[in-house]
Amino acid sequence: MTTVDSVSVTPVRKSVTVKVPAEKAFDVFTNGFDTWWPRSHHIGKSPMKRAVVEGRVGGRCYTEQVDGTDCDWGSVLDWEPPKRVLIAWQITPDWQYEPDPAKASEVEITFTPQPDGSTRVDLEHRHFERHGAGAAAMKAGVDSAGGWGSLLELYAEAAQR
Amino acid sequence: MDALGDPTRRAILERLLNGPVAVGELARDFPVSRPAISQHLKILKNAHLVLDTPAGTRRLYQVDPAGIDTLRRYFDRFWTEALTAFKKAAEQRGSDRE
Repeated sequence: MTTVDSVSVTPVRKSVTVKVPAEKAFDVFTNGFDTWWPRSHHIGKSPMKRAVVEGRVGGRCYTEQVDGTDCDWGSVLDWEPPKRVLIAWQITPDWQYEPDPAKASEVEITFTPQPDGSTRVDLEHRHFERHGAGAAAMKAGVDSAGGWGSLLELYAEAAQR
Repeated sequence: MDALGDPTRRAILERLLNGPVAVGELARDFPVSRPAISQHLKILKNAHLVLDTPAGTRRLYQVDPAGIDTLRRYFDRFWTEALTAFKKAAEQRGSDRE
């Protein structure tokens, strides 16, 4: 996983099968993003009101907060309904927006129809090393400062397992 | 401790992502003195963000990969949770329409 010449990290790969056609699965994942995204996961200071994925290449991915502000968290890199979407994950490990996609990890989601009419949804989150200095910063923050807010506490708990 | 509060330290860490570097090389490439570089590296090392290994008469510094690995483990758990929520929403909405 790590090499002598560069730091690289095995991607996270997940798969789930949903009992709906690919068009529906794609639609719920993207246009219906707000209907399933865990509400505790947002970078805004006030609670999340709505999560939006704009359905086009270059589209914004953001949340609207209760206090009226928007928080960008990513951008759509590739948009191929109903088969595939690629999103730049532009949240730094200390939960700020990273405007440079080259410093962001990527999440690729593909939707593959199954013979029984269901859809296999595969997700790959890769290139964590691009978060670079921030990734190490997050670990340092968890190890040393302790408790910067509920999101980092959640991370710290998960990371201890 | 705010090991990465200093922009030069952040830049040093980002440089180390491309691979191990000796102190002399860093001193050459950054607009700060060699003792300053050593001091930055000492702070980063104390924060467990970099580690050093001997290579002949030099010491090579590199990013401690444990930090990035921890991030990956977090996302591994996070996406399991998120996709479970997605599946539930997709299947509920599917059946609502029938």
